[in-house]
Amino acid sequence: MERFIVNRIISLVPVLLGISLLTFILIQLVPVDPAEVYLRLSQIPPTDEAVAVTRAELGLDKPLYQQYFDWLRKVVQLDFGLSFVTKEPVMEELLYYFPATLKLTAASLVIVLLISIPLGVFSALYKDTAFDQMCRIFAFIGASMPSFWLGFVLVYILSLKLDLLPVYGRGTLAHLVLPATTLALGSAAVYTRLLRTSMLENLNQNFVLYAKARGLKERLIVVRYVLKNALIPVVIAFGMTLGHMLAGSVIVENVFAWPGVGRYIVSSIFNRDYPVIQAYVLFMAVNFVLLNLIVDIICGLLDPRIRLGGDR
Amino acid sequence: MMKRLKKISLISMLLILAIAISGCGGGTSSKAPSDNGQQAEKVLTISWAQDVGNLNPHLYSPSQMFAQDFVYESLVEYGEGGTIKPHLAENWTISPDGKVYTFNLRQDVKFSDGTEFNAMVAKKNFDAVLANRDRHKWLELVNQIDGVNAVDEYTIEIIFKNPYYPALQELSLIRPLRFLGDAGFPDNGKTSEGIKAPIGTGPWVLEDYKQNEYAVFVKNQYYWGAKPKIDKVVVKIIPDGETRVIAFEKQEIDLIFGSGLISLDSFRQLRDSGKYQTMISNPLTTQALALNSNRGPTKEQAVRVALQHGVNKQALIDNIFYGTEVKADTLFSPQFPYCDLGLQPYAYNVEKAKTILESAGWVLKAGQEFREKNGQLLELELCFDSANNVQKALAEALQGEYRKIGVKLNLIGEERQSYNQRQKDGNFNLIFNDTWGAPYDPHSLVSSMRVPSHADYQAQAGLPMKAEIDAKINEVLLSTDKKERQDLYRYILSTLHEQAVYLPLSHGTNIAVFHKNITGVSFDPQKNRIPLVNVDIK
Repeated sequence: MERFIVNRIISLVPVLLGISLLTFILIQLVPVDPAEVYLRLSQIPPTDEAVAVTRAELGLDKPLYQQYFDWLRKVVQLDFGLSFVTKEPVMEELLYYFPATLKLTAASLVIVLLISIPLGVFSALYKDTAFDQMCRIFAFIGASMPSFWLGFVLVYILSLKLDLLPVYGRGTLAHLVLPATTLALGSAAVYTRLLRTSMLENLNQNFVLYAKARGLKERLIVVRYVLKNALIPVVIAFGMTLGHMLAGSVIVENVFAWPGVGRYIVSSIFNRDYPVIQAYVLFMAVNFVLLNLIVDIICGLLDPRIRLGGDR
Repeated sequence: MMKRLKKISLISMLLILAIAISGCGGGTSSKAPSDNGQQAEKVLTISWAQDVGNLNPHLYSPSQMFAQDFVYESLVEYGEGGTIKPHLAENWTISPDGKVYTFNLRQDVKFSDGTEFNAMVAKKNFDAVLANRDRHKWLELVNQIDGVNAVDEYTIEIIFKNPYYPALQELSLIRPLRFLGDAGFPDNGKTSEGIKAPIGTGPWVLEDYKQNEYAVFVKNQYYWGAKPKIDKVVVKIIPDGETRVIAFEKQEIDLIFGSGLISLDSFRQLRDSGKYQTMISNPLTTQALALNSNRGPTKEQAVRVALQHGVNKQALIDNIFYGTEVKADTLFSPQFPYCDLGLQPYAYNVEKAKTILESAGWVLKAGQEFREKNGQLLELELCFDSANNVQKALAEALQGEYRKIGVKLNLIGEERQSYNQRQKDGNFNLIFNDTWGAPYDPHSLVSSMRVPSHADYQAQAGLPMKAEIDAKINEVLLSTDKKERQDLYRYILSTLHEQAVYLPLSHGTNIAVFHKNITGVSFDPQKNRIPLVNVDIK
């Protein structure tokens, strides 16, 4: 297992380098000159002279490859430069906002698990019953509702009409309920269906038949064998979803005024705050890659065939 | 097995319910937190889309102007109709050559830390701003100031390089020439690098702040002017307008004040509900389009004039602004200084617009929808900020209007920075270009017409008399004679009106929506001020 983990970590290095290069190049492709953006955000008229001085200050007058290596050298030291808007270190700002996003994502994840596992398992066990049909309707509605709309519906009903929960902001646990539920419902719907399908596939496997023939109790078969196997594709998809949740909480954070990274990046994109955008893309890419690594490890633990190369 | 699974399922559902119920207590806002048995505080909660920023009085973004105005004050104030009123300066004199302004400061002013406001600290503030001239180049006032002297403890004189008539108007600006207390200065005195604390003389003091979440302002106990009736202002940062509306309806917010904070649909809905009070300010700015006289068909004056006649502005006001704005016939509302010129509006007249285009050779061939001239289609590009819903709605309405006169209008909605870039490059036929409002109008906007990085310059660049217009702008800014200034403004604004390089659509306003227990809400001539001194909670 250790060797498996070490191999996976080593393979991350070229991936991260590739991501850093891509991030850097994509920003260069944007038609607006970062020096002019910097000046405009600093309320300095972007005269030719001022642009030239700023380009030199920001190192934008150097050859592209040199700019990349300078940037990479600093990034390795976790120095993403200063925000054009606030003039504060980008890394500090990201770390300031990230815990809020992490908290929101973690809460959403709990809700996804609490909804999708029981619904997925029961809809498979009670296939084609009324309960299964209800779960199917829930899945279709949940997966197709845009989060901003769902957010407003929940706020309208639970906050405004029933006065059960606060509308926006961070504070008590109550403040977490609506944004986390909004973020979670779409994924919960998808995972309910995914788990149901996976459960049904496994329920039809020969090992279930053999287990029954051996006289094992149905409860034991479902919990210990079927569910464990059925969870593998769900866990793989979960890794990606978690990354999406971290990076994709943008709309939910804006709707609920949740002070996380999502809100930070939206204002940075509007301002073309390049150091922040670059840092965010890289930060989220690293998150994705690390989450995938964790998922691989979990899958390896769940299924020995994966960690041993699939041939034994 | 089924029983166990059912048990797991039940526990899961209970957990969800527990999360929901555990939070139910925190849903309501605390309007008046108890004060250990004393009289409850009067707390006004407002909301803003962006964080209030670091409140450096000598810098700009990310500090929000309304919040800087809460904390810091100016030497003079801009009143209705552009009249300049004493504020931190009790009175002033101007030397005969117009180059020396001497201000006698009030002697009863203290900063929020209890220290005195006097000529020395005023000079220190001016010096800090002047040490960072490059950053303030856009403001002619800073360019024109040669130096500032403290004559005695309560007298300062500002020496100008040239006589500069809008000096007093620009001294009333929210930034960058307001006053930070001595203890707020960094050790090296360079406020351009940051401040230690936001210490001002204004009615409010920043008490608590959490970046991107909230800012709490309390009364400045040393404030020299009329004391606010409320004890505390809480500014909640809510980026989304619809969330703001729901928070307001749920009484988590007391007052919505400003422009663009909620959609006009929401404003109409709140107003028509009859449950709340709503107010609309006098015209503060002008929402206008700049027509590029240096590019494509809009090079022709006839096309520009036809475009003026082809818009039913009142229909836009009624259907897009729901009556919250006022129809604009001129670039500046006549209430601004030097702007009441009696200019003849371009009336909405589709037939006249068609005739003008026909006369100019733009003909509509049988079976065609759009006009042509020498094989060239009458096709124009209207550029707008894609994040601005009002601009988008206006652009779509104009597209329909111009179709009626045979003009093809292509809409280009882009992100703010790309849109700004087009303004700078002149890469447009029509582009949204609002005026700046008091106290900038008309002189600051007119001044910027000489700067190539502004859409105004680009739009005017094709005018045969552009050089003359620029020369007159130079003259008007340095003129010391009021009559001469009026004549110069008449030439500049009349010429631009006749040349039809601006298509004014509406005069922008601020709106206020508040609960019925709130009194004393009013507007200021400056768009970015939220005057709360008279506001009370019943």
